[in-house]
Amino acid sequence: MTEPGLNTEEFQVNMGPHHPSTHGVCRFILTMDGEEIVEAEPVIGYLHRALEKICENRTYQQCIPVLDRFEYCTSMSCNEAFALAAEKLGGLEVPERAEYLRVIMLELNRIASHLIWFGTTSLDLGAITPFLYGFREREDILDLFEMTCGQRLTYNYIRVGGVAKDIPPEFIPKCKQFLDTFDAKVDDYEKVLTENPIFIARNKDVGVMSAELAIAYGVSGPSLRASGVRYDIRKDDPYSIYDRFKFNIPVTFNGDCYDRYLIRIAEMRESAKIVRQALEQLPEGEIAGKSTMNYKPPAGEVYSRIENSRGEMGVYIQSPGKVKKPLRVKLRGGSYNQLEVMPELVKGHKIADVVAIMASLDIILPEVDR
Amino acid sequence: MDRDELTKHLTELFPDKIELLETGKIEPFFLLKNKDDLVAFCKAINKDEKLDIDYLCCLGGVDTGERFEVVYNVASMKKRIRFDFKLSFKYDGAEVDSVQEIWPAANWYEREMWELYGINIRNHGNLKRFLLPDDWDQGYPMLKNWDAPDFKRMPEVE
Repeated sequence: MTEPGLNTEEFQVNMGPHHPSTHGVCRFILTMDGEEIVEAEPVIGYLHRALEKICENRTYQQCIPVLDRFEYCTSMSCNEAFALAAEKLGGLEVPERAEYLRVIMLELNRIASHLIWFGTTSLDLGAITPFLYGFREREDILDLFEMTCGQRLTYNYIRVGGVAKDIPPEFIPKCKQFLDTFDAKVDDYEKVLTENPIFIARNKDVGVMSAELAIAYGVSGPSLRASGVRYDIRKDDPYSIYDRFKFNIPVTFNGDCYDRYLIRIAEMRESAKIVRQALEQLPEGEIAGKSTMNYKPPAGEVYSRIENSRGEMGVYIQSPGKVKKPLRVKLRGGSYNQLEVMPELVKGHKIADVVAIMASLDIILPEVDR
Repeated sequence: MDRDELTKHLTELFPDKIELLETGKIEPFFLLKNKDDLVAFCKAINKDEKLDIDYLCCLGGVDTGERFEVVYNVASMKKRIRFDFKLSFKYDGAEVDSVQEIWPAANWYEREMWELYGINIRNHGNLKRFLLPDDWDQGYPMLKNWDAPDFKRMPEVE
């Protein structure tokens, strides 16, 4: 009950851009009614590096390192999305061994990205131990990448027409050793968070996204599957050689932060399954076709998409024909649409829930700003 | 639904208004001849029972050096269909209708296109600075003829 003569009015709170939980530089202008959020407006562009313009100014092969910077948690996927689009344009065939190496790297990268999400999400919600757990296992994956391509973050590994280098002999035993212990490690993660009453209280029924809302706003990936839509590009619009592996697509139906957590945990296990199968089937042979340094695809345009750890990663390339540089490169990442839908999700919640919702959607800002 | 069925079905729905592009040999790619048909076309493919296009993957402008193009990448979650279509129009008075009422996801993509290409969006309602700084005054940077004092093009190497 308000006291007579006391005025109430809505007020605005500025959150960010330098807020530790925004995973990059993102600002929210929150309109509040007391403690409740009435409206939220994301303000982006702080990390805009004009990647699309830069790509227009480079040859196809030179675009790959630019794409690394598009989304630095899963650089492999970005390389793959661009390489796939460029290969489709020119009808390039990729050697069998390169396809398998790509899948191994993509799935390991998906696990690494989900581990960052796992660590930072729990850190945002006040739990520090899971962060250390997540980064411990991520380190093993980064070691594998480092021994393969020399890089730990921006790999520049998947190239147009193949991959940059073959894996060293010690890769396979080390990777198998990682996979053998990984399931038990995920069990450990779950022990810390899945039934943790504080974690559940912060996440259950927070930021509920219906399937209709998700589809309307173009949300994809784990966030979409947490809303009960069984849609995974690896199965529904298969690319590369994903049709050769057996894996499940986890789906949950509540669409809240807790369900998004469950989906990503389950996806890590599925990715490990794919890597195991790919290592078993890995054939001998070439790792790249003929040199694509001066790649000049014929005139054409293509939109090619893959399943990234944050959803649909799409690359549209228009080639004018017989020219080394693309006429237009348009990049689409999953975080863009997830940030766009956020104002709908935070309505009626408190400021602390913005942190939980943003963490559960796994938004990364360089991908939004490009 | 494969490419031939899709082409046949779309041509039946919109006779003379769309055509399959030569560049669509990789994936189905259509040209919508008149940009004023855009909203009607999008509504039709959204409502059509066979297509049920409920998902906008991406939307972006293209400056070919001669004309503007706007490319729409759409998909159906339920029917597992995916195709692209585009509009092509002159620089003068460049303007397209917003497709937000059909796919709300278009809001940000259109805002970005307005900011980077200078293509005006009818019925948008939220055309504010987005990726560029608030005090940006150097024109539309994605245009092919855009230039700035510190903008360097890569040299052509043969």
